[in-house]
Amino acid sequence: MNAVERVARSDPGAAFMLALRRDHAGLSRVLREMDTQAHRLTLEPEQARPVLVDALGYLLHYQHAHHHPREDRLFARIQARDRSLYATMQQLSEEHQTGELETARLREDLAAATEPELKGSTGSQLAERVTNYIRHSRLHMRHEEAVFYARAEQSLDTDDWETVIAGEVPEDPINDLERLSDDYPHLAAQLGLTTRHLGLSETVGPVNAQLRAQMLALADLYGGLFQDAVELTRLNIGRVMAIRGPTSLAQAAGAITTDNLRFAGQCLVRPSRWAINAGAGLLVSALSSDSQQRDQRQSNGLNRE
Amino acid sequence: MVSWQSRAAKLISRLTIRQALIRQLSVPDMRERIRGMERYFPDIPPDVKVELEPGLSHCDAEWLTPASGPTERVILHFPGGAFMTRFVRAERLLLARMCRAAQARGRLVFYRLAPEHPYPAGLDDCVEAYEQLLDLSIAPQQVIISGMSAGGCLALALLLAARDRGLPMPAGAVLMSPATDLTSRELEGSRSANAARDAVLSLEQGDQIRELYLDGRTELADHPYVSPVLGDYTGLPPLLFQVGSTEVLLDDSQRCAERARSAGVRAEVEVWDRMPHGWQALSFAPESGRAIGRLVDFVRECCP
Repeated sequence: MNAVERVARSDPGAAFMLALRRDHAGLSRVLREMDTQAHRLTLEPEQARPVLVDALGYLLHYQHAHHHPREDRLFARIQARDRSLYATMQQLSEEHQTGELETARLREDLAAATEPELKGSTGSQLAERVTNYIRHSRLHMRHEEAVFYARAEQSLDTDDWETVIAGEVPEDPINDLERLSDDYPHLAAQLGLTTRHLGLSETVGPVNAQLRAQMLALADLYGGLFQDAVELTRLNIGRVMAIRGPTSLAQAAGAITTDNLRFAGQCLVRPSRWAINAGAGLLVSALSSDSQQRDQRQSNGLNRE
Repeated sequence: MVSWQSRAAKLISRLTIRQALIRQLSVPDMRERIRGMERYFPDIPPDVKVELEPGLSHCDAEWLTPASGPTERVILHFPGGAFMTRFVRAERLLLARMCRAAQARGRLVFYRLAPEHPYPAGLDDCVEAYEQLLDLSIAPQQVIISGMSAGGCLALALLLAARDRGLPMPAGAVLMSPATDLTSRELEGSRSANAARDAVLSLEQGDQIRELYLDGRTELADHPYVSPVLGDYTGLPPLLFQVGSTEVLLDDSQRCAERARSAGVRAEVEVWDRMPHGWQALSFAPESGRAIGRLVDFVRECCP
């Protein structure tokens, strides 16, 4: 006996609400996966599109077909008890209808687009529509939980619950990935992943990697000089503030001059040292890349012979 | 593509925080610098109420309650800061944003810091904070543990300690770039490969941080409460790790998740391309909003 069934026996209203909340949990899991795929739609459409089509199919066939009608019955009963919620309830019910239409339309448009289209502006527009869909769905859930879910258990009586609970509800397939994979194999495979990569790495050759490493070293170098400058400025201000007469003035001037000259020297020496190291590193990297390419060409030639 | 806001933040971090970590700054100097940087973080939204009561025995803690109908969910958050310092405003804002999106109340625990209060003082405060939630009759199924960096280490240590003490497990945990291995083994994997690429952290002073946190008792580093990567994860709730691909701490998350999975725990890792350590707290960057949206989806999954 699962948790919902246990609660259902003792308190049908609480069980109904728990089941609705669990639907939101399943929906959240799918929205997270849709977010992953929406951001890679234009870059890897062959991988992202089937997952998104599956996800929208699941939303249509479970969330829109079974979850929303139950919510609509709940809203109607709560509204009967509290007329002040009429406008909010109307808005949420309308969102159920428009959401269902948008889900179907989005799924059709994604399925119909060709791969070159998905890599271009059509793909960008579809990705944005998916992102908007995710944002609206999250806000919609928040709104429902804040306004209606919180009130339901306090304001409804046994008769209300009997009306609301009426009808069989199928088990959410999201809770069993094996079962989900029968109808939505791409979505099920993605949900089963343990590691997700968000954003796609730029592919860089060895020279670019070397160049990048040198640029990071340069940023570190100037970061160090910046910190030195801040510390030196603070030190110099302290020295100036400590001047009390001609002797301390002379001492401060001497110390400030010495330290500033030393810092100026560092400003010249460190970037020059970086330039020499970076130049040498890039040269070695370019030469080794050339020799690798030559070896590759030779090996290809031998293979052909 | 990494947004320009995140790129700018990475450059500024490289020029400031990373430099501060590379240099042997004293702890008071480090804290003063962080206070200086904190001025540039915005305050929390006005619709999030902050309360201090009921407090904890040895440290401050805050309740964050968003005005828009919070549910019974509670996010218990431990801030980062190498066990010695913390970005108070940034972490408060991060938790406030999470709470608004998840319609949860937030509990921000300012656990005691080393070197004044070495291990296990900080962990004790975290455990006390969790026990307090249970004492307040908050159902453990409604509690999500959250931690950033060193706070992520404490979050995992709390889960292990709570399990060992026979406390009921919370619903789940979200770990943002947790530091999970404080042993002094040679730098390898991401700690070596990303040493130059990490825009925020430098492990050059790693040994010193460990010394201060453990008050010189470095043999404790092999304890799972100090290095949770060495722990047994049996019986822990679902875990979600978020970490940047160029972070030195990348492997800390991946190794922990592998260990958790081998113990039958659901553990997911999100590797974010070239995002800097702690990007979730950069409220001006679009990746921060996206990361929080995903964290909150996970919170809903665990706390229906």
